[in-house]
Amino acid sequence: MSGISVQGVSKSFGDVQAVQAMDLEVAEGEFVSILGPSGCGKTTLLRMLAGLEFPTEGQISIGGQVVNDKSPADRDIAMVFQSYALYPHMTVAGNIEYPLKKRKVPKAEREERIRQAAAMLKLEDLLGRKPRELSGGQQQRVALGRAVVRDPAVFLMDEPLSNLDAKLRSHMRAELIQLHRRIGRTMIYVTHDQLEAMTMSDRIAIMHEGALQQLATPKEVYARPANAFVAGFIGMPPMNLVDAKLDGDGNLSVFGRQYRFVASDGPGHSGEQTVKVGFRPEDVVLRDDGEAARVAIVEPTGHEVIVVFEIDSARIVGRVSPELDLKADDQVRLAPRVERIHVFSGTDGDRLGGVHSEG
Amino acid sequence: MESSTRPAPKDTGLSPGTRSSMLGLMLIAPTVLVFCAVIVYPLISAIYLSLFSIYTPTMEGDWAGLSNYKVLIQSGEFWRSFGNNLVWTVGTLTLQIVFGILVALVLHQNLWFRSLARSLVLFPYFLSTVVAVLVWRWLFNDLYGVLNHFLMWTRIIDMPIDWLGTMPNAMISMILVGAWKYFPFVVIAVLARLQTIPDELYEAATIDGAGPVARFRDITLPQLREVLVVIILLRTIWDFKEFDLIYLLTGGGPVISTQTLPLMVYKEAFALNQMGSASAVAVMMMLFMLVFMFFYLRKAED
Repeated sequence: MSGISVQGVSKSFGDVQAVQAMDLEVAEGEFVSILGPSGCGKTTLLRMLAGLEFPTEGQISIGGQVVNDKSPADRDIAMVFQSYALYPHMTVAGNIEYPLKKRKVPKAEREERIRQAAAMLKLEDLLGRKPRELSGGQQQRVALGRAVVRDPAVFLMDEPLSNLDAKLRSHMRAELIQLHRRIGRTMIYVTHDQLEAMTMSDRIAIMHEGALQQLATPKEVYARPANAFVAGFIGMPPMNLVDAKLDGDGNLSVFGRQYRFVASDGPGHSGEQTVKVGFRPEDVVLRDDGEAARVAIVEPTGHEVIVVFEIDSARIVGRVSPELDLKADDQVRLAPRVERIHVFSGTDGDRLGGVHSEG
Repeated sequence: MESSTRPAPKDTGLSPGTRSSMLGLMLIAPTVLVFCAVIVYPLISAIYLSLFSIYTPTMEGDWAGLSNYKVLIQSGEFWRSFGNNLVWTVGTLTLQIVFGILVALVLHQNLWFRSLARSLVLFPYFLSTVVAVLVWRWLFNDLYGVLNHFLMWTRIIDMPIDWLGTMPNAMISMILVGAWKYFPFVVIAVLARLQTIPDELYEAATIDGAGPVARFRDITLPQLREVLVVIILLRTIWDFKEFDLIYLLTGGGPVISTQTLPLMVYKEAFALNQMGSASAVAVMMMLFMLVFMFFYLRKAED
């Protein structure tokens, strides 16, 4: 048993509330990403799991044991830092060996485990080198090696790929997925890069201003965002969010067009209210009976074109086929795909539901 | 064809390579001249003077060859002074390093009085040596010194101690005052380095299972190594040739018990009026320093 349980954990630094009333359950062997913009409290949460910060309130358990008062060394965790934090005066072998040495593992076993970790991470030829003689990707693998060699119950990773260039990053993503599959340990992965979170995780915990917004699979987070923040954060480019009116009978009016609101997957609504209507760029379709719009910006990316449309003063981003051959200042008619419309509360942003049909 | 409007470079009859090396020589010339005037000339003239038997007030005398050196090497006073010099240098430097690192570690912590303490710790280093030594001589005084008064008042001793007039007290006092005066230099250099050690290294080590002592030994000390090499090199040179502090505190006494080589140079040159033999001591001093630096830097490079 080496799952993680975070119950009502808050952390404040003076007047600043970094994490508020956080609940998070991670199953053994699960890969969970903590995703959010800078300053959302994701690193603070990870550091509390590591024992480098202590919660102001709440309880953290690892493997069924409360670890609030345990030192980092006694939590059976390993952490990979954004800066790698390799010991500069030790060789690669020395770096990997250090946690074993501090735990008084006998020398023969230490050497065997260094050899295994080095083989797994393709570090065999680098064992005698110092960290400064390695490339960024190699340093990254040494940092992973230092974590893997101890075979801890939980791996904590703090933006481990953010210092690598784009090509190496996608390579290391694949390696991390493989590593996780191979050792099957619980991994908590902090990142601000949604691509990393979406591609690697079993589940994603999205945080904003210290609070958990949604904890779900990548598919779920994309298809059914729990609130307007998640909707606007996930997706490249993110979801379009426009203000709309919902009347007491469930009639929704967007750009002068009528839809029937349905609380299929949300709490529903009560009475007349302003709402935010969201739809993804790929769900913007051009159709003759749609709303009149002007093409403002065209960004071809090769296999698709990102287009910014203007309807009155509102900007709508669409993802269309290059075959349409749109140009700036073209006049088009567009509408969102009905079954892919999300409705969020206009006040707190929570998901209310979707729409049923036009008219 | 394109016609060039740029004027052709003036033909000086020199190739571009020669012209750029001439420029290089011109740029380096002022430095070389100053270096020769203030370092090479005094050095050569000291070696030259050490080969004569010279009467200081007239600066005249006869060729003596290596006899000044012969006399030195056979003299007990020279080796005694050299020994004193080693004891003083090693003793005071060790204390400077140990206190310096300890104080730097304390000042590196988040203390509320940190910025005040960081300024105060520099005080002994700023203080003029004459003032500092006068204060210490007053503290150490065997008749009315505060130190003896305090020790007798707390009944640690029942007779006043002669701190500067007997051995080994004089040497110990001197080493302590030297350590007090110069440890701030170590504090500043070490503190500057400590502040650049990333916190992540300590956090990684904590997670890896290192306690406070192991973290100091495995992270802090290796990171301080390079700055300590420089500190030890500079402070050894400066402590080895320290003159004013020793001259003012004990004057080399009792008799020659705390006389170091710089004091011997002074005594030979201006008390005994033997400029030639004083120069010979100075040249020997320089040789000792060269040998030390040669081995030290070679070892530090490993």
